[in-house]
Amino acid sequence: MAVSVTNAKERITRLFNGEEVDRPPCFSGMGNVTTEGLKQLGYKFAATHLDAKQMADAAATTYKLFGFECAVVPFDLCVEAEALGCEINVYAHSEDILYPTIREKVIHNEDEMDISVPSDLLSRGRIGLVKEAIKLLKADIGDAVPIGTYVLGPFTLAGQIMELNDLLKLSFKKPDKVGSLLGRLSDVIIEVAKSYEEVGVDYITVREMGATSDVLSPRVFKNLILPYLKRIFEQLKGNTVLHICGKTNDIAPFMMESGTKAISVDQKNDIVETRKKLGHDALIFGNYDPYNVLVAGDEEKVRSTIRECIENGVSAVWPGCDIWPTVPAENMKAMMDEINRR
Amino acid sequence: MLSEEKKKEILERLKNGVIQYDEDAVKEAAQEAVELGMDANEAIFDGLVSGMEEVGKLFEEQEYFVPELLMCADALYAGLDILKPHVKKMDLGVKGSVVIGTVEGDVHDIGKNIVKMMFDVAGFEVYDLGRDVPLDKFVEEQIKTESDLVCLSAMMTTTMVGMQKVIDKLREKNPNVKIMIGGAPVSKDIAEKWGADGYAADANNALKEAINMISSLKKMREEAESNKAKS
Repeated sequence: MAVSVTNAKERITRLFNGEEVDRPPCFSGMGNVTTEGLKQLGYKFAATHLDAKQMADAAATTYKLFGFECAVVPFDLCVEAEALGCEINVYAHSEDILYPTIREKVIHNEDEMDISVPSDLLSRGRIGLVKEAIKLLKADIGDAVPIGTYVLGPFTLAGQIMELNDLLKLSFKKPDKVGSLLGRLSDVIIEVAKSYEEVGVDYITVREMGATSDVLSPRVFKNLILPYLKRIFEQLKGNTVLHICGKTNDIAPFMMESGTKAISVDQKNDIVETRKKLGHDALIFGNYDPYNVLVAGDEEKVRSTIRECIENGVSAVWPGCDIWPTVPAENMKAMMDEINRR
Repeated sequence: MLSEEKKKEILERLKNGVIQYDEDAVKEAAQEAVELGMDANEAIFDGLVSGMEEVGKLFEEQEYFVPELLMCADALYAGLDILKPHVKKMDLGVKGSVVIGTVEGDVHDIGKNIVKMMFDVAGFEVYDLGRDVPLDKFVEEQIKTESDLVCLSAMMTTTMVGMQKVIDKLREKNPNVKIMIGGAPVSKDIAEKWGADGYAADANNALKEAINMISSLKKMREEAESNKAKS
């Protein structure tokens, strides 16, 4: 007899604990705010990054409107970099949906890589704001769905605070120098992630997309980056997911070896092969294309993709990246309906 | 007089210098090519570009990844900087000017720079708008420079949709402009749907697309030369 599960929160908690679930959950560890949700609230996307209540309200709408099985904050990738002193651009002038980016990096050349971690890290930038948003979400819908957040992986964070061009070349020419920067950034990530755990976040995704095999060789991933990911996952006590997009088939076993509870991959991953490599019990989240399927596809495309993900053996139906906000309501509904038929 | 043998040796050194991302070796060979009065076009296409073609193959075979590609590009530029002032202007039958940039909201420019490199090699006039470029800037720059090619790059899904707006605006002002879009989230479907003339989904693809284009230019150059010889 199939196990009975009362709600998304219980379903996903059971999944992370390695217990049986009634069906794969449909959630994400990355941004999933929609323009439908923003419209209902009357919020502007650019403003939601700077206000805990707006951020929490907006994050909750994807569950409230469509039954998506989580709520995740923040929505951009600049939180840690900002706390380290980078200046960000939220594109306040724009009517379009634009995600904040780094305007000014803190490391301008190789000689400036010897950064020190600010002692007041947690009170800098928007880390307090994200924590506040997590608390608000816990109070609002925390009994029904798990509340998630994310941090960048050390290599991806390094790419935010210095020129990616330089970082990539140095990871080849001077791996020791890059390694020592990654070590310091890992400490930053651990400190930030632990502070999220303290306010009760249910799961944390570490986004290390800078280390995809589209960019870096699996060998460099294993030698230069994996040791720091291990250090991070060793320190985190709660539920964790390691996300890398792009080509990941060769590094999937290393991803699992990092000590994360689950891995997240995108549509470029051959899930059947990954499942075979990692075994029946491994938590593999993925791997639908959040733009070409969910935004640009029609309902039938959405349904068939979701079915395919499940047949291929994902543990949770989960997007390959942030869900692009302009996703049509009918596609979100079709996705959730397809899942609920299970 | 430059012997065939010596010429071959220099071309080989230029090519291998690019493949082995050895900037000094490339500089040395390029300097020698100039001193010996070798045709700069030949040194660029049969030396540097030929090396880059090999790099493209190594990338495809996953022997090389982006860091190696970037280092090879540095080596290519080291040679190009020396050779370019000696290139004789050629009428290729194309106008050869291009506006290129990464769209607003996106600060990733590696793919864009790789494509730009190949235009530089081909002797195009390149108007590089950089990264995080406001959408209207592409249209303004195209009109200002009368470029017949515009290349838009976006690495993230979250910024890709901006490209559609630029394409529409460009077409409205100038229906004949050629538009190439590139970046990880780009697909053939999207390129077609949005009315782009070409696309490149990743660095390798961009490199291949650019090499294809350069190769066809090279063919045109050879044909132009053989026609000249005949007449």
